[in-house]
Amino acid sequence: MSYLPFLLQGALVTASISLAAIALGVPLGLALAIVRWQRVPILSQVVGVYVSVIRATPAITLALLIFFGSPSVGVVLDTATAAVLTLLVNTSAFNCEIWRAALIDFPRDQLEAARAYGMSPGLAFRRVMLPQVWRTSLPALVNEMTLLVKASPALAVIGIVDLTRAASRIGAATYQPLPPFLAATVIYMLMVMLLVVAQRHVERMVRERYGTG
Amino acid sequence: MKASSSHFRIQMISWTTFAAFAAMLALPAQAQSLQEKIKNHQPVVVVTEDDYRPFEYIDNGKPVGLDNELFQLMKAEAKFDLRQEIIPWTGLLAGVSSGKYDAAVTGSLINQERMKAFDFAMPVAANMHKYLKRKNDNSIKSIKDLSGKTCGVQSGSVLFARLPELQKMIEKTGGKMGKVVQYASYPEAYQDLANGRVDYVVNVEIGLLSVMDERPGVFEIGQPVVESPSYVGWPVKKGNKEMLDYLNDFLRKVKANGKLEELQKKWLKTSFKDLPEHVEPNF
Repeated sequence: MSYLPFLLQGALVTASISLAAIALGVPLGLALAIVRWQRVPILSQVVGVYVSVIRATPAITLALLIFFGSPSVGVVLDTATAAVLTLLVNTSAFNCEIWRAALIDFPRDQLEAARAYGMSPGLAFRRVMLPQVWRTSLPALVNEMTLLVKASPALAVIGIVDLTRAASRIGAATYQPLPPFLAATVIYMLMVMLLVVAQRHVERMVRERYGTG
Repeated sequence: MKASSSHFRIQMISWTTFAAFAAMLALPAQAQSLQEKIKNHQPVVVVTEDDYRPFEYIDNGKPVGLDNELFQLMKAEAKFDLRQEIIPWTGLLAGVSSGKYDAAVTGSLINQERMKAFDFAMPVAANMHKYLKRKNDNSIKSIKDLSGKTCGVQSGSVLFARLPELQKMIEKTGGKMGKVVQYASYPEAYQDLANGRVDYVVNVEIGLLSVMDERPGVFEIGQPVVESPSYVGWPVKKGNKEMLDYLNDFLRKVKANGKLEELQKKWLKTSFKDLPEHVEPNF
């Protein structure tokens, strides 16, 4: 029982690192998706390669590469920065594909109608496209967020004491691995539930405001 | 024609990105020496493992153990910005050789393999390797009885590297080495020993004494599984003489004033009178 504060501290680390990566990763994913969707020369292909490489790299490998590889290029990253960067790089690649799918599926006729009314492409994107695209992307984005939370234990390898690492340290100290890991499982479930509840809440708000889901 | 040229372009970009990436990794680490770091007011960073009793471990969020107490002494008298990071074993030595850390203040066994990439400060402990068994397991009484039994050991460790010595000892009694299970760290191996997934765990005596101390009545220490002891010391990147000298000066000081012996007794339940200044391992 005396180990509970240590476990909660680990939970706080997991939550804050994941939140930071989500908050930066969702807009970054959108930016990358726009680059690909607009077929910006050269940049679009670079993003394509980036997404393929990152999607194929396990989070733990990425964490080691970023943390221990960074001094080779003269950059010194502290543990927390490297941790957020790892999750950000990881999630931005997946978010890019989620956003891109929604952008590609967007009905052309709406954009043409907006153009006919004299909207600039930028305005049409902001006022016509984005409000619909984020709603269709939301379930997949939240799904990716829950995956991100569950990928975060990989960061223990660079010295982050997240929820899983805290639980494993407690198990090692007491030689009773079951209680801390059960507690950690419950905390992970609560975190994921919180994300899903937030998603449902937003969807309900959208339904009430626009009358469609 | 259009399709193939754009395909070509994508390939070109892929290869360029890949080559840039590879070049980035091939660049030598721009590690600064100790004096340069001090002069430029940059922090000197040592790294310590997070779960290697009794040398270093975390007790309810606080780093404790022999190496952590030695580090605190070192920090108290350091006239520059000396910092510590605590990470799991997996990336630790790589972090020292890549220049991420200036030294590892961690209980690393000294072997030939590691001597190729690292220089070691004077050892802080000597260590026999022994096996640990469940107290209520009466089928193991000596080395002979280990024949065919499942062995737990830390992967990539000196213990693992010296298992052939145990194999020879078992074969001399007419037996056969059983299955070997490798673990990322010892606490997991002890848990599996208690669960019955392995029959014995091979570790250094100091580590085993510490388990016995914490979990009395569960385990029992058996016979040595090697002919000669291993030494435990702190590695720096090979050729980092300034850092090595700094560590050695510190260790000589705590050896002379009796502090090292006091901490060895506190954490290792034993002390070492005749630790050599320099170790040339034969394994």
